[in-house]
Amino acid sequence: MKQYTNVLDRPISKGKQEVSLSGFAFLFSELVQYNQTQVDNIAELERRLEDAGYAVGTRILELLCHREKGNRRETRLLGILSFVHSTVWKVLFGKVADSLEKGTEHEDEYMISEKELLVNRFISIPKDMGAFNCGAFVAGIVRGVLDNAGFPAVVSAHFVPVDGQQRPRTTILIKFAEEVLQREARLG
Amino acid sequence: MIVCVAVVGHQNNPLYIQSFTEADDALKLHHIVHCSLDVVDERVNNPKKSGPTLNETFLGLLYPTENYKVYGYLTNTKVKFIMVTTDLDVRDADVRNFFRRFHAAYVDAVSNPFHVPGKKITSRTFAERVSTIVKSFGLNAAG
Repeated sequence: MKQYTNVLDRPISKGKQEVSLSGFAFLFSELVQYNQTQVDNIAELERRLEDAGYAVGTRILELLCHREKGNRRETRLLGILSFVHSTVWKVLFGKVADSLEKGTEHEDEYMISEKELLVNRFISIPKDMGAFNCGAFVAGIVRGVLDNAGFPAVVSAHFVPVDGQQRPRTTILIKFAEEVLQREARLG
Repeated sequence: MIVCVAVVGHQNNPLYIQSFTEADDALKLHHIVHCSLDVVDERVNNPKKSGPTLNETFLGLLYPTENYKVYGYLTNTKVKFIMVTTDLDVRDADVRNFFRRFHAAYVDAVSNPFHVPGKKITSRTFAERVSTIVKSFGLNAAG
């Protein structure tokens, strides 16, 4: 560590990389409330949250590719999935996602699960909204990242009840388009 | 000296074209940029396995024309940066450095919430940063 005699020569610190959780929770709750007044049904609300997340996803992909990845481009499926699972999650939520699994029934399905999504921490869904999940926002982010990296996919968020836990686990289900699988098979 | 830089979207739509010469050959430069897009596509779709790694962002010298050299750079979102220069002896490291700073300016321009992805980049700050980078490229190469 160099000792700086002049205080003006010391490098400026990068500053705290954290944002206030309550600030974000309030902002997100306003986003959900605002969208709720504009739509008539739940599917539309889910779509709007997803579109909001999509815009975030495109921008975060550009930023992360430049900052973290240096000179590499992702061309393989597993590469982009592990990128989403660790790097994107780390930047957005401060930790890597809990697990990444391959679907057993279909070849083109992958799942990222999280015990408790950060955006859902202060939200409880009323019973009459059925299977709606505010994690649709995070699903939109994932879709934005995958779409712009050249891996078109349909992404959705689901609650999965777990025994022994009061609140259900959240799973982000990623279903890749046909062309992605064909390209992956071609690349070997 | 750099005569032209261009940002081309993933559907080969132009997002930003700027030429830095006083002469009125902007059309010729547009044509050169357009032709170099074909070379980029060729490099991406038929990679030389023995050459540089498959998923490198910097594409290098695309093709030399009569008195210009064209360099390319491909980002993760299939957005291409094209740079046309008249310098005869350009160091590889200089060009890579140029593209790194250009990429940083591009990321900042796209992070603007009022920027619609797919539309042209209309930010004045981006234009100023690009001209600063272009000017300092010339100085570094000469010195």
